[in-house]
This record gives sequence, structure tokens and C-alpha cells, in this order.
Amino acid sequence: MSATPFPARPVSRRSVLRGGLGALAASAVAGPLLTACGGDDPGGDGKDLTFWNFYGPADDANPQSKWFVDLTTKWNANNDVKVNLRYIVGKEYLSGTVLQTAFQSGEGPDIFLISPGDFLRYYNGGVLQDLSPQLTAESKADYLPGLLEARSVDGKVYGLPMEIEPLAMYYSEPAFEKAGLSEADLPKTWDQTLAVAEKLTGKDRYGVMFETLPGYYQNFTWYPFLWQGDGAPIKDGKVAFDSPAAVQALKFWQDTIQNKVAPRKALGDGGGDVVSNLGSGAAAMQQSGIWAVSDMRTKAKNFKYGIIPHPTPDGGKPATDLGGWAFVANAKGKNPEAAAKFITWALGSTDAEGIERQRQWNTVVKTNVPPRKSVQQAADAKGAFGEGVLKKFVSEIAPTGRPEPRFPPEVYQPVADAIQACQLNAADPGKAAADAAQRIDTFLQTYQGASIS
Amino acid sequence: MVATTAPPSKPPVVARASRQKTPMTRKRREALAAYAFLAPDVIGLLVFVALPMVLAFGVAFFKVDGFGNYQYIGLDNYKLMASDDQLWSSLRITGLYVVTFVPLAFVVSFALAMLVRNHFRGIGWVRSAFFLPHVVSLVVVGLIWQFLLVDKRGAISKLLAPLGLGDVSFLGTPSLALGTYVVISVWFVMGYQMLVFLAGLKDVPKELEDAAQIDGASASQRFRFVIWPLLRPTSFFVVVNSTIGAVTGLQAFDLVYVLTRGGPARSTSTVVLYIYEQAFTFNNMGYAAALTTVVVGLLILCTGLMFAFTRGGRFDED
Repeated sequence: MSATPFPARPVSRRSVLRGGLGALAASAVAGPLLTACGGDDPGGDGKDLTFWNFYGPADDANPQSKWFVDLTTKWNANNDVKVNLRYIVGKEYLSGTVLQTAFQSGEGPDIFLISPGDFLRYYNGGVLQDLSPQLTAESKADYLPGLLEARSVDGKVYGLPMEIEPLAMYYSEPAFEKAGLSEADLPKTWDQTLAVAEKLTGKDRYGVMFETLPGYYQNFTWYPFLWQGDGAPIKDGKVAFDSPAAVQALKFWQDTIQNKVAPRKALGDGGGDVVSNLGSGAAAMQQSGIWAVSDMRTKAKNFKYGIIPHPTPDGGKPATDLGGWAFVANAKGKNPEAAAKFITWALGSTDAEGIERQRQWNTVVKTNVPPRKSVQQAADAKGAFGEGVLKKFVSEIAPTGRPEPRFPPEVYQPVADAIQACQLNAADPGKAAADAAQRIDTFLQTYQGASIS
Repeated sequence: MVATTAPPSKPPVVARASRQKTPMTRKRREALAAYAFLAPDVIGLLVFVALPMVLAFGVAFFKVDGFGNYQYIGLDNYKLMASDDQLWSSLRITGLYVVTFVPLAFVVSFALAMLVRNHFRGIGWVRSAFFLPHVVSLVVVGLIWQFLLVDKRGAISKLLAPLGLGDVSFLGTPSLALGTYVVISVWFVMGYQMLVFLAGLKDVPKELEDAAQIDGASASQRFRFVIWPLLRPTSFFVVVNSTIGAVTGLQAFDLVYVLTRGGPARSTSTVVLYIYEQAFTFNNMGYAAALTTVVVGLLILCTGLMFAFTRGGRFDED
């Protein structure tokens, strides 16, 4: 080629290099910044609502997905305002960016699922719709004590719980048998837990397992051990984390790692995944929630296991954490009143159909403790909690529970850092608790949102 | 009379004739074609890189709660950084990662390039095998390595068991997690960097090597006095590219998020992960934007220093 398009400004290797590197540096940091763009107008005529969730419609049309699909189909058949499901993969929903970026750009869903740990973040952001006007007194009275309060501010209800998920210790019968242990050896105290776990630990197996991955879930699973010693991160609006209860709970988890009876990293989806850990033989005892019962039913139905309440420290009291997700409506959505109406119909209806719908969710397609008395009665009548581990969950473990705390990230994070530092980095529990308490205190001095505890 | 009978359509005809007489030069056509080819990239960069960068710089002066609410706070986000211990910790971890990952990736990639430089039977397969990790999604890479590194039961634990190291938790021990992350990162990028070095080695004239050999230069001398000096532009590109990738590239987030989510005990909490945490856990979008601008500034500074130390990349003018 004879002609030179840009004879006056030859493109040297150096300038290409500079340009390329500049573009590379710029593009590398641009991704996260795109989330700053977006508008506020949700648009639409309010006749089509979106419902983001991590259950359905899933490709495999599993029973939980089908429950969600049936729920909206039923609603849509009888209402002008239609609800459209949008399925988001669990991991992305729980710890990804999809929900946050949607809200930041004013494109949040009309209805979505929320955990107690996220309640205040969304409430303080002004995007939760008051469901109280649509909620009947009969429905309110039907919920078990404390559940609505955990999702309320100033007496107004902002979320309806769909389930209660208590935590317990699962144990593997084959592992106990192999180690020559019997039911009489099931640990009741922390010291016994360490001793029994040592006997159960082998070449391919750890004696006990707690969550090790940092995040909301790890905090959720650790709180019962804090509560057993009457501790709490915050009491009466003031920081209370620098306490003997926190120090001993931090030390207990630390001891399981230091004694080499617990893994530093769980298999599968983490500490709550009983199938991948207990079920595979990698752990002999594992802390997890009631959801694992249905997981084991579908994925490891021949595996023999049992559950026990969380072991307690000397002088401690039994405790568990009552997790569970709730339906909430977006106050800045297309039609918040209709969204609230859908939620109270879906989860709060006290007629026979509403109770049966809740029974199906809590005891047929999933294993939960139902959050409403009428649903529990209906489930009892069907023998859902008549025997086995579910009976133990409902009759023995759930009554010792407290609703999962609704700590904002500024409280959750110092606690998470203390747990991680002690459990996995052999930090001094006393110092870790004091450091966390100081950070929480600093935050509380300027916090202006809804009541934390 | 003659003048008044002039046909009214003449001027347009003249104009058309004039345009036809000055056809676009080849040079001009080529320039237009070049702009047309460049336009999609330039538009893409402006819309998806330049504009967000400017917006992020603007957002850094606001308190943004993640729900569309903005409050102007001036330089407060920048002032907050001074007392943010977690930020300094994440910068320290990122720094450690960079100073270990960049040289290691350089050496391994260069060694591989030298290894597969000359043709031998099956060279294509060998090169493909080395490059293969780079075509796999980083999330998949993270999951595969997690699987290999499972405590007690993973393939690597089994391999190390005869050495008494079967109980070592590479991703669960703070003192080992960052090193493990470095090794996995090197495994991921080595194929790509090997290709860059191979391209650079192709530019080294064979005559020069032959001449040096005839002059009695040993293999190490040929490497030191012929290959290495001529490879300096490529090496420079690899180092800068690798440094930027280590600070803000995909492996600085995707991989570490899948492998450890910043744990254990924050030992792998890189600055990009910390920015993500501020944006999507704490909803401090404004602070996250401010942190991003600082990281960009640091990268520009680092790159500038590299240019300065290497005299602006004028390797070919020695």
C-alpha cells in the first residue's frame, strides 16, 4: 500500500503501547462504576408486577419452584394486577449484585424476598412498603410471637415471614458407630463436643463442622453460641459485644479448629450444606438448619442421621437461631399497594386455601417450622411433625430459638471479622471482642435508622 | 439575448460536474475507512469506559445509599479513607499479591515460552495445553481449585499426605491462602503471557542469534546479550499488563470471591473486593466510587513510574 492515511502522525509501537495500556487500565476499573447509571422512574401502568426470588420458575421445575409458579398462577387468574416471577440463582440473589444494582438504578422489583439480616438495610433505604393496611388482625394474631416484630418498625409490618428455619447439630450415625460411640455419647456441652469430635476425627473425616466462610450466614450460625451465655452484640440500643459470653463463644469455635477436629473449609455450598459434608462422610457432626432435612430426603435419603440441640457451655442455656425469609414489597415500585395485597394474600390468608398453601410450603415441598399457629395445627393434623428429626426440631429445638437479628452491615461486619479472626487466625478472643465492640459503638453513635434490637 | 436564453439548469449541471471532477482521493478514502473501522471501538470505550469513569468521579463526592438517594458531601469520602483500617489492610494485601504474582507469572510464562519456542512434534498440543486454563471462566477455575484443595479429601491433600501434609488447608489458613491464590492466578495467566512472549520471541532475528553462536557465544550468553535485550518491549508490556490485571483484573475479584470470599480472616481481601463490599454490602456507593478513583490514580502512578524507569518504553532506541 503506497498511500499513508496519517503521514504526519505515525503510529509508533510506543504510542500503541501507551494507548493500549491506558485503555486497559481504564476498562479494568470501569465495570463497577456502571452501576452508578440509571433512572428512577419504574414506569408501567402498575398492572404487571415483578417478583424476584431464588426458587422459581427454575429449569428443573422442582417442587419449590412449582409452589411459586402455582402461587402466581392462582393469583393472576383472579386479579387484574398480574405478578410475574423472575428467578435469580440463589448465590447471585444472596451475595451478588443484581438486587442492589436494580434498586440503585430505580429498577428494583415490586416484590422480593428478604432475610432478617438485610431488613434494616432496605428499610433504612426507604424501599419497604408497609403491609399493615392489608393485613387483618386475625392474620397478625396467627403468627408466632416475635416473628412479625422482627420485620416491623413502629408497629408497622414491612415483611411477612414465609418460614422459620431453626438451627441444630446434625450427626452421622455411621460415623458414630464406626468410632464405637453410641447415642449416649452425643455431646450436650461444649467440652463434650470437643472430646467427642476428637474421637470422630479420622484420616478422611472431621469430628465437627461449623461454617468457616465469612458472611451473613456465618454470623447467623454463631449467634446461638453467643446467646447461650446470655450475650448479644447490642443490648438496649448500646453495644454489648465485649462480654464474657462473646469471648467464650469465639473461643469455642476457635478450639474446634485449633484442636484440628473441624475443617477450615467446608465442601459444596458451605457449612449449611449437609448433603455435601455430613452426607459425604467428610464431617461426623455438623451445624445446619431445618432445610437440610428436605435436602437429605431428596439427595441422600438412605443416609442415617439424627439431630441434637446445640451443645451449651457450662451454666449456659439452650439457644438456636430462627432464620427464615420474608416476602416484602417495594415502596418505590409500580404499584406498592397491589404488591402488599399480593403478599398478604399469599402468606397471610387465614382461609382454608391459604392455610393449605402455607402447609404445602413448610412441610411438603420444603421442611420448615411454619410461622403461623393455624398452619402448624394443619401440619400436625397431617402428621408432619409426628416423628423423627422434624418432631425434634419443632418440639425441642425451635422453642429455644430467637428470631434472627436484623443487624445492619455496620454491626454485622465487626462481628464477622471477630469470628473469622478467632476461628481461623488464632486471634485472642478477648481482644477480638473488644475491637468489634469498639467498631459497633462508633457506628451506633451516629446511627439514625430504625431500632436495631 | 444570448445571456437571457441561457438554460436555467446549467448551474446544477456545473455543480455535479464539479463534484465529479474532484473524486475522493485514495488517501482520504483510506482515512475515512480507518475512522469507520475505529468508530465502534471508540464509541464503546467512550460509552462503557470513559463515561462511567467520569460519572464515578462525580459520584465520589456524594453519599449514595444504594437506593437512588444522593447527598453532596464534598471530599468526605476521601477524608474517610485515612482512618479506614480495612482499606489499608486490603491495599497491603493487594500490594503483597502484586509483588509476588507479577514476577512469578513473568518467570513461569517466559520459561514456558522458551520451552515451546522451537518446533517439535506435538508442539501445537503442548502450547494449547499451556494456554487452556486461560480460556476457562475464572469462576470455573475457582471451583476446580476449590475441589482440588478440599481439606483432607482433596486430590492435593491426598498427594501431600505421604509427606505428612495431608491436613494442610491451603484455602482455610490465613498464612497460606494468599500464596495459594497467587499460584492459581499464575496457572490461569501463564498461557496468555506465554503467547505474548512467543510473539516477542518471533521478532528476535534468527540471524543475530546465529551470528552470536558463530562468534562463540554460549546459550546463556546468547540469551543474555541477544534475546533478552530484544525482548524488553514485550517484557515491559507483560509487566504493566500483569500489574494492572493483578490490581483490578478479573482474577483480582472473580477468582478470590469464588475461592475465599476474602477470607480466611480477611487474608485475601483485595482492594477490589473491599470496594465491592463497600458498594454492595454496606451500600456505600459513593465511598466505593471514591475508592475506585484512588485505585485508578495509583495504577496511573505505577504505570507512569514504570514508563519513567524504562525511559518511556524507548527500548528500540538503545
